[in-house]
Amino acid sequence: MTLGSAGSRAAAFATAAFGATALGATLLASPAMAQSNGGAQVVGHVSSAVCTNPSPSHASLKGMIVGFSQSENEQNPFRAAETNSVKAAAKDEGVKRLLYTNANDDEAKQVADIESMIAQGAQALIVAPLNSTGLQPALAQAAAKHIPVVTIDRATAGTPCTDFITFIGSNFYVQGQRSGEALAKATGDKANIVEIQGAYGNSVETERTQGFADAIKKYPNMKLLAAQTGNWSATDAQRVMEQLLLAHPDTNALYSQADVMTLGAMRAMQQNGKTPGKDVAIVSIDGTKDLVQAIAAGRADADIETNPRFGPLSFQALNDWFAGKPVPQQLIMKDFLYDKSNAASSLKSGRPY
Amino acid sequence: MSAAAGPAPVKRQAIDRARIVGLIQSRGAILVLILAAIVAGSIFPDFLHAANVEDIVTAGTFLGLVAIGQTFVIILGGFDLSVGSMVGLGTVIAAYAQPFGWVPALLLPILAGILVGLIDGLLIARTRMAPFIVTLAALLALKGAAIALAGESMVVARPGFFGQIANAHWLGVSNLIVILVAAYALGALVLNRTPFGAAIFAIGGNEEAARMLGIQVERVKVLTYCVSGGLAGLSGALLAARLSSGISSAGNGYELQSIAAAVIGGVLLTGGVGTMTGALAGVLLLGLINNVINQIGSLSAAYQGLASGTFLLLAVIIQAGLSRTKRS
Repeated sequence: MTLGSAGSRAAAFATAAFGATALGATLLASPAMAQSNGGAQVVGHVSSAVCTNPSPSHASLKGMIVGFSQSENEQNPFRAAETNSVKAAAKDEGVKRLLYTNANDDEAKQVADIESMIAQGAQALIVAPLNSTGLQPALAQAAAKHIPVVTIDRATAGTPCTDFITFIGSNFYVQGQRSGEALAKATGDKANIVEIQGAYGNSVETERTQGFADAIKKYPNMKLLAAQTGNWSATDAQRVMEQLLLAHPDTNALYSQADVMTLGAMRAMQQNGKTPGKDVAIVSIDGTKDLVQAIAAGRADADIETNPRFGPLSFQALNDWFAGKPVPQQLIMKDFLYDKSNAASSLKSGRPY
Repeated sequence: MSAAAGPAPVKRQAIDRARIVGLIQSRGAILVLILAAIVAGSIFPDFLHAANVEDIVTAGTFLGLVAIGQTFVIILGGFDLSVGSMVGLGTVIAAYAQPFGWVPALLLPILAGILVGLIDGLLIARTRMAPFIVTLAALLALKGAAIALAGESMVVARPGFFGQIANAHWLGVSNLIVILVAAYALGALVLNRTPFGAAIFAIGGNEEAARMLGIQVERVKVLTYCVSGGLAGLSGALLAARLSSGISSAGNGYELQSIAAAVIGGVLLTGGVGTMTGALAGVLLLGLINNVINQIGSLSAAYQGLASGTFLLLAVIIQAGLSRTKRS
């Protein structure tokens, strides 16, 4: 019954331009970022607003206890890659101990997890919020003990510099917009589109829907025939796609808000006698291995990546905080765009997760 | 006289055996919980750390409150699948009500839950519709209502005293733990010491017999679903206080987890048998499994589901064995 889970809530990377501020440059020149060929995150936009530690301890993360609060089950490849990245970065950083908790989709548990890590002596926290709100009391406890909190992949309610020192993640609206542009490119600006959305009542879904809608407005021949939720689930998406293909046999393009749903929808197309990528152009979001392979095989057109490798940037932010260097309040990722021109080479480089 | 003297020792033996079986059925989960805690504590030094134990219990409070109502309903011979969505809707109602003070924020979700329980209960008791279908429909409708009211979530601005209810400590113990213990004590009292509780057991054991005994079956059923709904509403209100937020997806999955907790705790799905302490032990065991997987750290959270499922299956197998022993 994990209705709200998904390979979806996310953050991302790309090879293109950095926010070329001095801050962005220091961040990007950090040793953690040097190992970028493994698919490290790349910052696209650095907020000008910063948080600076008023009384820096100049303590090293080596010898510190750091807590990581994961939000969802790691059956989801995005979450698995995210957890692995934080654990690996903690090891590289040489922290004394990484406390790890997983709220398993339960808001009450995430608050208790954070409290418990504070009680166990965590000196810094990395939190992947389950929701866009709900952590304020836990964050207030961390603030009272001057424990810096880095929030990753989903922004959550709170006061920057008090409740958390930074947010590292993607712009989901822009992901939707870029999906619209990619679909226009794949179809020559002319398509009968069906959209499979994430679970309703989720800000990631809302933003990806809005971004896409705004992007295709510019193209009079890009028609959105229908939009329905696939609940971030492959089986739901498959069922929805079956129904949509029956209702709209002239469908020739699909925008799906998560790779796991896209794979379900592709199965439905095959059962309906349509060849994915040929009869139906496909654009998706996430950048998982399965879908990038599909692009390389010509069964899909484009995939906007949401990069789960948050470890290096998170520890970089913590290091800067303890050293008294300014930490940007927002580090927004430059999302990579997989398409037919780069899918095969990307697979070789190990970038898709 | 002489005829009765012969079989008497045999009969006593059978009664003794039945009593032991009954004890295992009702107290087995507590034993397993204690054993599991000892094992976990000896392997993971942090496990029995006060903060960690508090983590397990406070995080389990919300499911725990729901499980009280679920246990009542299961003993009655029914199901309540609406409780998870009711928790989510409860957080949203509380978030809307909080600007008018902590009293409405705490009471309105409870009243909403009672109303839902009333509708569910009336449909189930009067029209004889299956509890599964009626409460499944409620699950879907309430989830939709929560999303319609709040979207994904809304912040409770300036929670003040309302936030304190779920976040402060009383004599060094988290308020949530105090509330949980009090709720279970009250639940046990109602279940075991009141005519209402006796009627629930009687109906769950044999509905027709209960009717012939003059128990007002319909009324008890409706009331039981109201209790379940009200507790889900309370759980939602406290969760909103805890999170300073109304979150439409909060409580997702609590309907099945609360049933699992009750069954692990020795509540028979066929009705008529169960205890409050067993259900509480079930809730804490589920929390413990979660926590131990976190302590191991290197295991994927997928193992939480695997371990919980295995426990549930074991509990059901043992229950089936015990029931057979009891009958023979």
